Amino acid sequence: MINQLPIINMLLFLATALIIPLLSRRKFNITLIFGFNMLALVMTSSFFMLFHIADNGAIIYQFGGHDSRIGIEFKVDLMAAIISLFVVGLTTVIYIYSCGDETEGVEQKEYGRYYILLFIMLFALLGIIYTNDLFNAYVFMEIISITTCSIISIKRKKETYAASFRYVMLNEIGSLSYLFGVALIYMVTGYTNIDFVSQSIQTIWQLYSINIIIALGFLIIGIGIKAAVFPFHIWLPDAHASAPSSSSALLSSIVVKVYIVVLIKLLFKVFKLDVLNHFHVSDILVVVAATGMIMGSIFAIAQKDVKRMLGYSSISQIGYIVMGIAMFSSLGLSSALFHIVSHGLMKAALFLSVGIIIYKKKIKKKDQFEGLAYEMPITMGVFTIAALGMIGIPLTSGFISKLTLGVAALDHRQGFLIIIVVLSGLLNVIYYLPIIISSFLKSEPKIYHPFKIEKVPWPMLTSVIILGIGILTFGIFPNLIMNIMTQAAELFGWV
Amino acid sequence: MQIIQVFVDNINFIGAVALFLIGLRTVVTKKNLIKRIMGLNIMGTSIFLFLVAIGNVTGGVPPILSGEEGVTYINPIPSVLILTGIVVVVSITVYSLSLTVKIYEMYGTINQDELTNLIREDDLHD
Repeated sequence: MINQLPIINMLLFLATALIIPLLSRRKFNITLIFGFNMLALVMTSSFFMLFHIADNGAIIYQFGGHDSRIGIEFKVDLMAAIISLFVVGLTTVIYIYSCGDETEGVEQKEYGRYYILLFIMLFALLGIIYTNDLFNAYVFMEIISITTCSIISIKRKKETYAASFRYVMLNEIGSLSYLFGVALIYMVTGYTNIDFVSQSIQTIWQLYSINIIIALGFLIIGIGIKAAVFPFHIWLPDAHASAPSSSSALLSSIVVKVYIVVLIKLLFKVFKLDVLNHFHVSDILVVVAATGMIMGSIFAIAQKDVKRMLGYSSISQIGYIVMGIAMFSSLGLSSALFHIVSHGLMKAALFLSVGIIIYKKKIKKKDQFEGLAYEMPITMGVFTIAALGMIGIPLTSGFISKLTLGVAALDHRQGFLIIIVVLSGLLNVIYYLPIIISSFLKSEPKIYHPFKIEKVPWPMLTSVIILGIGILTFGIFPNLIMNIMTQAAELFGWV
Repeated sequence: MQIIQVFVDNINFIGAVALFLIGLRTVVTKKNLIKRIMGLNIMGTSIFLFLVAIGNVTGGVPPILSGEEGVTYINPIPSVLILTGIVVVVSITVYSLSLTVKIYEMYGTINQDELTNLIREDDLHD
């Protein structure tokens, strides 16, 4: 029974997506409650799966009982279990927010469709995390592309169409180069199953080294485009800025991270360290990540639109994650996993609190935030916590991820990387702090009633409060998740 | 002569890579949105060609069991992968074409340069 849990999770999401249209004639609240229950159910089962896997090792599921040489296989190891729990949990929070967000350009009759797309996307996200098959990952990737593009363009505004067109074009280039990489790997190994591919690559990589390095290049570039790793980031700011706020939060904190997980799988499960060290992949990734960390922040400083600024900030934060991966050590990978979770929480908190501000005040520009904290203390409070987390102030989860990244860099004997981490943190200060200062200090103090809570639909406030508490909790008690992440990172068999 | 022989032997692979590059160039440099979608299709086709070429065995027959002895079959798995790939590329094409229709309705143009200018003007008005 426990072996069936991954596929049951996915089927629950797919079933939800199919049932929502049937509920379209009833009150919309029924749909919302139904979807929430499904998410809660899957979250419970993901929790259960995580504990089961931590004790008993990976779950392996073969479709239709076929041998994994010819069939599709799911393999849920500890990392996959952690990430799937993170995806479902964070989506639940964003889902609660989206229940209150009635405007933001999405029309009344489109609400149901929005949730259909959301659940299909979740189905594919879980699939890509669980799957142990390179081609199957490609198929899920395409489902994610179409659904994410649709939840950007569901807002019937001019600029969303142009943004999602650019997104779909670049995403397709990414997917197709990933597919080319898979084809090249299939050419030398004859498998698409990750375990078998990895076995045969370990034996033949010196014979077919040209083939392997071209495949590696295509795969990394394909995933890099989709995960918005620095030189391939151009689609991200437009897409994130023009999407509805809850979609931006989903895209930035979940979808991009899932591709990073695919990158981790590719590097450490398919190619493994011998091949990677021979081709100096570590050096390339470190350079890419370091430039991304700096350039993303510099671009962000120049932006006037807050959501665009957050998009560029995502690019620099993805640099941190890639840098953690590029250390090629257990410590680096666990810091990358921690930063996946912590950045997910922080970026979702930022996008959702900005979403509340846009909902309430209809402002988008950085310099319009003056004195806003007097009117919306809770929203701006969460925004401040998350922004401080981005900068890396102690007591927030961002501090812990930067600390572990620095320790991993020292362990990797690349102390100069710490300078880049600190420099990027300082650049973050330049664009986050003015917003905080102008909203809290730069205005005539109005008389503030502590009991008069800002008038915003309660689901929106609840979700940002949950995110703020989450950031602080993981900042004060990082071992709640750090231990299990270290455990997951050590499973990859480092030399 | 040897170069020509290598070329002829690997014509499928070379063709696939050439098509991939043609498609990539079309997507990246062309200004017309429809042409860019066509470029994507060319890229997709190149990969399908590549996969078919991998699966092919010289002198092989289609993998339908006929009971005869001593027959070599071609590898069916790449063809099956391509079927999935074709469906995916078709759906992406449909989606991006529908976006193009919407863009044309909104802006009245499908030229990337004009589109960029229009978007910039909209930004200035905000």
